[in-house]
Amino acid sequence: MYKIMLCCSAGMSTSMLVKKMQDEVANRGLEAEIAAFSATEFDERFACYDVVLLGPQVKYMQESLAAKTVSEGIPVATINMMDYGTMRGDKVLDYALQLIEQKGVA
Amino acid sequence: MTSLYQGLINIIERKITPLAGAVGQQRHVVAIRDGFVSALPFMIIGSFMLVFIFPPFAADSQWGFARGWLDFSLRYRDQLMLPYYLSMGVMTFFISVGIGASLGRHYKLDPVMTGLLAFMGFLLVAAPYQDGKIATDYFSGQGIFTAILTAIYTSEIYALLKRKNITIRLPKEVSTGVARSFEILIPVIVIVATLHPLNLLVASWSGMIIPQAIMHLLQPLVSASDSLPAVLLSVLICQILWFAGIHGALIVTGIMNPFWLTNLAANQAALEAGQALPHTYLMGFWDFYLLIGGVGSTLPLAFLLLRSRAAHLRTIGKMGIVPSFFNINEPILFGMPIIMNPLFFLPFILVPMINAVFAWTATKLGWVAQVVSMAPWTTPAPIGASWAANWAFSPVIMCLFCMALSALIYLPFVKAWERSLLQQEAEASQSAAASGAGLQTP
Repeated sequence: MYKIMLCCSAGMSTSMLVKKMQDEVANRGLEAEIAAFSATEFDERFACYDVVLLGPQVKYMQESLAAKTVSEGIPVATINMMDYGTMRGDKVLDYALQLIEQKGVA
Repeated sequence: MTSLYQGLINIIERKITPLAGAVGQQRHVVAIRDGFVSALPFMIIGSFMLVFIFPPFAADSQWGFARGWLDFSLRYRDQLMLPYYLSMGVMTFFISVGIGASLGRHYKLDPVMTGLLAFMGFLLVAAPYQDGKIATDYFSGQGIFTAILTAIYTSEIYALLKRKNITIRLPKEVSTGVARSFEILIPVIVIVATLHPLNLLVASWSGMIIPQAIMHLLQPLVSASDSLPAVLLSVLICQILWFAGIHGALIVTGIMNPFWLTNLAANQAALEAGQALPHTYLMGFWDFYLLIGGVGSTLPLAFLLLRSRAAHLRTIGKMGIVPSFFNINEPILFGMPIIMNPLFFLPFILVPMINAVFAWTATKLGWVAQVVSMAPWTTPAPIGASWAANWAFSPVIMCLFCMALSALIYLPFVKAWERSLLQQEAEASQSAAASGAGLQTP
């Protein structure tokens, strides 16, 4: 069971991407919990997830948000602009899974 | 031109991005924004009541339905006003609790307690009590800046006392709930012991209570916030930040909200008193004339894309059109892309600024109804514009005019982008055909 958190300013545009990623998860027969939140909910939510992906418009928060997750070892990364714009659920899912796996190795 | 553009991008990346990050994440700016967000639903519903009290018909209308509504709203004015008074009329309560709770979360204090502490701090300085009555003059727009300052002050004091471990310690057997409520005792004492004398001191020294003094000091700034230069400057900052891929609206609205709300309350008070509305630049103006379909007014762009000859743009158009109606345009901004795309720098910056000049002028000339109510920013722009102006029709026309103008300005740039994409698509299919042919030959 993979747990993926997306985060942007109000959790609006990321929730569109969540839908696409869930479709992709179903296609591949995987099990994953994917949810989108606003940046204000970050502190309360991140601990329940394996990885946090940010919308590119809040990339400027990445450094400070990553600092909060460092003790739990949860990676915080920004979604590629083009994948975000074209809502490529498959590519973003690949990215998330790759980050989770790297974490497992490290 | 290219080097000028490169220079600009360099400045944005090296100077503005870190600055925007610092401002946008500064804990007090975040807390103020959170405070407004938590107060928003109450204020939207409260100001919605204004439509019932001031229905969108002429006061002397003879049309049966309109007459009936007008008579009803006149007869039951007091009852209808109650939800409005207890939301917009006391917006500072919601805001101070919201800001306190946000800072409480930031400092890992109990958010409810921090919010209540902020509320008490506000009442201490903004609610003069005499003859068994509390004066309510500063509970609405005029008290917003005071509510912000007292919420920040009280939360900082609480956090400081907690950090220094100055607290009442109860034996371990006492349950955590009880212990927590005792933990707040010392912060309450400190806040009463500092804010109350300060209020008395300011009153005896200046003859004004604190909220009055604060509004007096800020008056020039509040006035300046409702001017064409303020409109243009705020939207310019927002557009430049967004062009660099930073959520600029988050930062700009965080700063503008206290001013917008102060002026909104003034407009509503004027409507209630039957006077001319004093203010033009409010959140309804920003959301529905300058950010039609999202930042950069890209709703018309979504329509243009649907009919594009380039497959990529058509895809973006299909994906972007529905969210665009609700003013969410990340698919268009990042998909076209507009962000960091030198071709779109000029129209993206200029479209909302040009719209701003037209909407401002038309409103000032009295052609377009002013904003007097609050509508959720996700309302489709022409509807939202009407909603914000108490369901007047003129804002719909203004909004549609802005959309047509945006489409006109964007069009040549979209065509140019389409040409370069078509060229890429042709090259890609050519090379695919070539490699496909290569594979088939043995």
